[in-house]
Amino acid sequence: MKRAMVWGLLLCLALAGCAPQSAQRTIFAMDTVMELTVYGKDAEENVKAAAERINELEKLLSVTREDSEVWALDHAGGETVRISPETNALLRAARAVGEATGGALDVTLYPVVRAWGFTTGEYQIPDGGTLEELLKKVDYRAIRVEPDETGPANATLPAGAEVDFGALAKGYAGELCAGMLRGSGVESALLSLGGNIQTVGNKPDGSPWVVAVQDPAGEGGESLGTVELTDQAAVTSGGYQRFFEENGVRYWHILDPETGLPARSGLVSVTVVGESGTLCDGLSTACFVLGKDASLDLWRRCGETGLWPTHETTGMADEGGFDLILVGEDGVVTVTAGLRDRFRLDENTGHTLQIVEE
Amino acid sequence: MKKGLSNKTWLCILGGVMALCAAAAALVFLRMPKGAVAVVTLDGEEVHRVDLSAVTEDYELSFTGKSGITDVVEVAPGKIRVRQADCPDQVCVKQGWIGTGVAPIVCLPNRLVIEIADGAGKVDGVTG
Repeated sequence: MKRAMVWGLLLCLALAGCAPQSAQRTIFAMDTVMELTVYGKDAEENVKAAAERINELEKLLSVTREDSEVWALDHAGGETVRISPETNALLRAARAVGEATGGALDVTLYPVVRAWGFTTGEYQIPDGGTLEELLKKVDYRAIRVEPDETGPANATLPAGAEVDFGALAKGYAGELCAGMLRGSGVESALLSLGGNIQTVGNKPDGSPWVVAVQDPAGEGGESLGTVELTDQAAVTSGGYQRFFEENGVRYWHILDPETGLPARSGLVSVTVVGESGTLCDGLSTACFVLGKDASLDLWRRCGETGLWPTHETTGMADEGGFDLILVGEDGVVTVTAGLRDRFRLDENTGHTLQIVEE
Repeated sequence: MKKGLSNKTWLCILGGVMALCAAAAALVFLRMPKGAVAVVTLDGEEVHRVDLSAVTEDYELSFTGKSGITDVVEVAPGKIRVRQADCPDQVCVKQGWIGTGVAPIVCLPNRLVIEIADGAGKVDGVTG
């Protein structure tokens, strides 16, 4: 009788305690709002460490903070600047994505982005002469880094050129934090860095994380579909995220480094899913610029392996390939083979699904 | 001989714990939203929560954050938006109404976030 009651009591406690231990943190950093959720024991301590890491990275990588490393690099007037392993990792990632995409991602485009007012919200259409002049300084290949390996280094930027890691930093922050959390024994975490999703493991119940992809055409931020993630990142770039209109024409913030004009490639949004958040972040912008055919070519070439063999190029812990969800102006959603069973298009969105097998 | 707790004491503990469990379950159940619930946070602190399906008449609320920027939030049956904001980029205003969607409205300069916290069918995150 007594034993039965003890078991009953234990069962009751187990049921009451079945909600997993978790901790959540909302932080404003890197020009966005971030929500960090960590599960498991020491969740509070781990989520705090992740938030602190992101704030540290922001101090290093911000293009507007006068005490950041990026600011020092951008205002060195052609002089050589000592950079941290983190800044070096991003320069290396930027070069890898730039080279693989024919310069569709160029981290030295910042002065052109500023000329459009996308950095301040005071939007304007720069005239052709201004763009031509600014584009002369845009070339990621002109950044010199010595030694050409991971770790701290010396970097030199041509006078007048400016780098900005806006297209990489959030993905990198997510990737670094995920690595750090895994190292602390965390088996389940979801980091939402302003539309950049980075996951650690699966949900506490063991099923994959389910992340909605925003419908680029939807008026109220509706869902286009969902994608399942396990230990992966998902990053989206779209023309609907930041834009202004003038005389009925929409101008968005993703610019083609070739022309300095908003990229019009026939795509309205690109979502990249993969193990490396940095790669996903950089490629989402680059593929938006490249358009559907060139993006699928890139996927055929590098989708399996990714762009860097991890430690050797960027020092990042993760490696692996990527898959794409491309949403076209024509309403066609093109999904690459690796997401065949993981992406689900919502009903009644008016889109059609196309799976690319190879 | 060690003296253990009597059957009666165990029964009391068991009964007490079960009652607590039942109360917790009831609380969770009662707090479950009936429709789309919008949650407004300012600098991470919840400042307003409303079941949008229960709204019958439009109303407006103003939120001023530490930056001094003011967002005017309009709540209507089934939907919510930032109607007016004195932030420079107007990203939040341009986003328009949300209600059934998954993406939050964010006014970064004011650190204001409007999220739809749904019951069934809620996803873990949103990329967009």
